Amino acid sequence: MSAYLQVSGLTKHYGAITALDGVDLSVERGGVLALLGPNGAGKSTLFGCVLGLTRPTSGNLLLQNHPLTDADRRSFGYVAERVALYPQRTVLENASFFARLKGQSDSEVATQLKRVGLYGVGDRKVRQLSKGMLQRLGLAIALCGQPELLVLDEPFNGLDPVLLDTLQCILRAEQARGATLLISTHTMSAVEPLASHIAILLRGQLATVGTLEALRAEHGAEDSLETIYHRIARCTPAPEEAFA
Amino acid sequence: MKADSTISGLPRSRRREEALSSVPQKKSESCYLGCHQQAGLIAIKEFGDRFRSGWVIACVLVWLGAIGLTSFLGLVQIGQIGVQGYERTVISLLNLVQYLVPLLGLLLGHDLIVNEREEGTLRLLLAGGVSRWSCLLGKFLGGCFTLAVPLILGFAIAGTVVGLSAKDNGIAPFLRLAVSGLVLGILFLGLGLAVSTFCRTRVQSLVAGLLLWCVAVFVFDLVALGMVVSTRSLAAAQEIEVLCDTTHVNAAADLHSAFDNVPAGQTPAVPASRGSTLGWLAINPVDLFRAVNLSKQLELQVPVLTMLLTAALWLGGTLGLSLWKLRRTDL
Repeated sequence: MSAYLQVSGLTKHYGAITALDGVDLSVERGGVLALLGPNGAGKSTLFGCVLGLTRPTSGNLLLQNHPLTDADRRSFGYVAERVALYPQRTVLENASFFARLKGQSDSEVATQLKRVGLYGVGDRKVRQLSKGMLQRLGLAIALCGQPELLVLDEPFNGLDPVLLDTLQCILRAEQARGATLLISTHTMSAVEPLASHIAILLRGQLATVGTLEALRAEHGAEDSLETIYHRIARCTPAPEEAFA
Repeated sequence: MKADSTISGLPRSRRREEALSSVPQKKSESCYLGCHQQAGLIAIKEFGDRFRSGWVIACVLVWLGAIGLTSFLGLVQIGQIGVQGYERTVISLLNLVQYLVPLLGLLLGHDLIVNEREEGTLRLLLAGGVSRWSCLLGKFLGGCFTLAVPLILGFAIAGTVVGLSAKDNGIAPFLRLAVSGLVLGILFLGLGLAVSTFCRTRVQSLVAGLLLWCVAVFVFDLVALGMVVSTRSLAAAQEIEVLCDTTHVNAAADLHSAFDNVPAGQTPAVPASRGSTLGWLAINPVDLFRAVNLSKQLELQVPVLTMLLTAALWLGGTLGLSLWKLRRTDL
């Protein structure tokens, strides 16, 4: 079976700094890839390249064996680490605007707002929302139109346990629907039950990638994902010039 | 590193072979209509935001007030008060339009992109499959609507009042002023948009916009005049005199006074013939705007092709530059 999303030789330099160094990765449809790594490892840069926000210095991004285009990205959903919306507009207006840009109807907006529990506050201005509500609104916008690929950048940050559980349920449902998920996070306990595959990015390079079972077989059968992650991160020597 | 059925880290060489062997064909070419629809949605949202913020209404009021006062008190310097005919109103309004409209355009355009970039909403916008061109076009069109509404309203109301009060049917100069003023504003909106894509913060963008305004409205003429004086080019000196000095207060009064001894409906005599090689002044749209609106009084014929070419080059240049920069900007 061919890959749904294929990243090959992806490199990104910011001046003298190498954020991504020849990353090769492929994701098949329906997979959930948890992208782990310390701050500054290049996770957000990798997502930026996939979403068309960052221009790679070199490398290829293919979606079903075709170069990734802006038109393809209409079937993507994205939840940013810091959800930024138009504060002077209401919940409903924000969601409708982004949904319409993807060609989605207001009924789809209503469905997704109900799904994340925000339908009752549709008339509230975004500047009046709490952080958790803003996260949920960001998720609702990303879910509009049943995206084929969901990209979530640190989605579990600062969520209370109930909200965390809700988010996990929604992501499981999306996975069951057949969506492909890319999740970057530091909250490994939250992503562990969801992820079908783990990729660890260290200093712009892919240190390892595989299923959790495969990682356990290689690095410690009884260990949690967090323990395995620390073990791999400690074993990888830091190049002197990286991230000066 | 293990490869498996769903997600795998394949050898880089194989990935590159696969990437090179796969023909880069787009899955669908049906995005063109969609791109324009997206630009339309962004334009409507932009206009809506400006309308809600009170920008549009404030502009309408300021513009109406300025245009009304200038029309009514434009002849104070020659001892007259009251609404005059269209041709004299145009001369009174010329200064206002040439200073205020470029400023409005730059103020409107300076934060179109940088604001969304600072707030972080540009990431969400572009991550959803909106092309950078659609985003830019939508922002520009939204800015155009925002600029056009107060200008058109102001000119329409002032034009109606002048026409009714002065019982003047010769509206052509006034229409020319309105249309050329609108085009001038749009050109400076494009310049503001370019500034907005190049700057990292709103403050930086505002300062750059104001500096550009000063250059276009004041510095360019001074530098041009200095060059002419230093090179002692007589023909060019006449052009600079025409295009710079005629809009100064005293010279404007001179222009108005030329009407005084002429029967109604006739154009006053022009004191001397002027040079006609004005091509290089088209570099600056403000100068071209003056030349277009003073063409009758000063016998300056600006070819339509020059006007169209200048507008197209300025618009194409600023939008092209903005797109070039936006495509190279990492968010």
